[in-house]
Amino acid sequence: MSVVNYGTREITCKIVYYGPGRSGKTTNLQHVFSQLPDERKGKMVSLATDTDRTLFFDFLPLDLGTISGFATRFQLYTVPGQVYYAATRKLVLQGVDGVVFVADSQSRQRAENIESLQDLHANLADEGLDPRSVPLVMQYNKRDLPPAELSPVEEMDEVLNFRGVPHFSAAAAIGGKGVFETLRSISTLVLARLSAPATRES
Amino acid sequence: MAKEASREAEEGGEFADFLADVSKEIAQRVESLDKRATPVAAAAAEKKLRTPIAGEPGVIVEWPSIADRMIEEMR
Repeated sequence: MSVVNYGTREITCKIVYYGPGRSGKTTNLQHVFSQLPDERKGKMVSLATDTDRTLFFDFLPLDLGTISGFATRFQLYTVPGQVYYAATRKLVLQGVDGVVFVADSQSRQRAENIESLQDLHANLADEGLDPRSVPLVMQYNKRDLPPAELSPVEEMDEVLNFRGVPHFSAAAAIGGKGVFETLRSISTLVLARLSAPATRES
Repeated sequence: MAKEASREAEEGGEFADFLADVSKEIAQRVESLDKRATPVAAAAAEKKLRTPIAGEPGVIVEWPSIADRMIEEMR
């Protein structure tokens, strides 16, 4: 996907929320959606099962209007976290400009976080993208749970954040905490690429 | 009630703050985009309008021999 189309004066950014099942990816999008002013509220598409699990993916188009002469659109996607939806995750990652990795802070979810991160790296590589350079931020979600159930932030950083990308360790997406901070951070990283030599243009 | 109103204002502010940050970021980038895009567009326009000159790569001037060669290759 082109980040910037100079001919039509459009900027389009595709941001994918990745992470293990039930880590809070859909909740992130739902919070963003709930905060949009009515005039900017598009349609959030969400396909979930009876048990609230994301079946296919969520899609939230964010039309930010014309900024400095560029019609600016952000497209936010989530992937289904469950292991057996591997093909869908690959599909959603196509043309991605930036990734938010939503990790579940519960210590019992440690292995799932690692597996999902490895899955992300493999899928990015399959897409021809270097997992070491794709704009990425980490969100350590569910920090509002009892401390005894949580992995320490330092441990999560050590296990998951070997790139040393920005992380948000005070996140509790269900109450909206850290959601916009995370989105702002990944947006800045993606937009920073507009003037980088490796920017894709059409 | 007052608490609710205050919360609504705060919530609206979250998106507004995000939009302000994104706008600022884009504004900073647009200048460099303009600088990069202008020479490319100018070169493309020049290339489109300029009349080819004999001797330049790809310009055919010897029509009879080219025609002969084409006919030969089509056989």
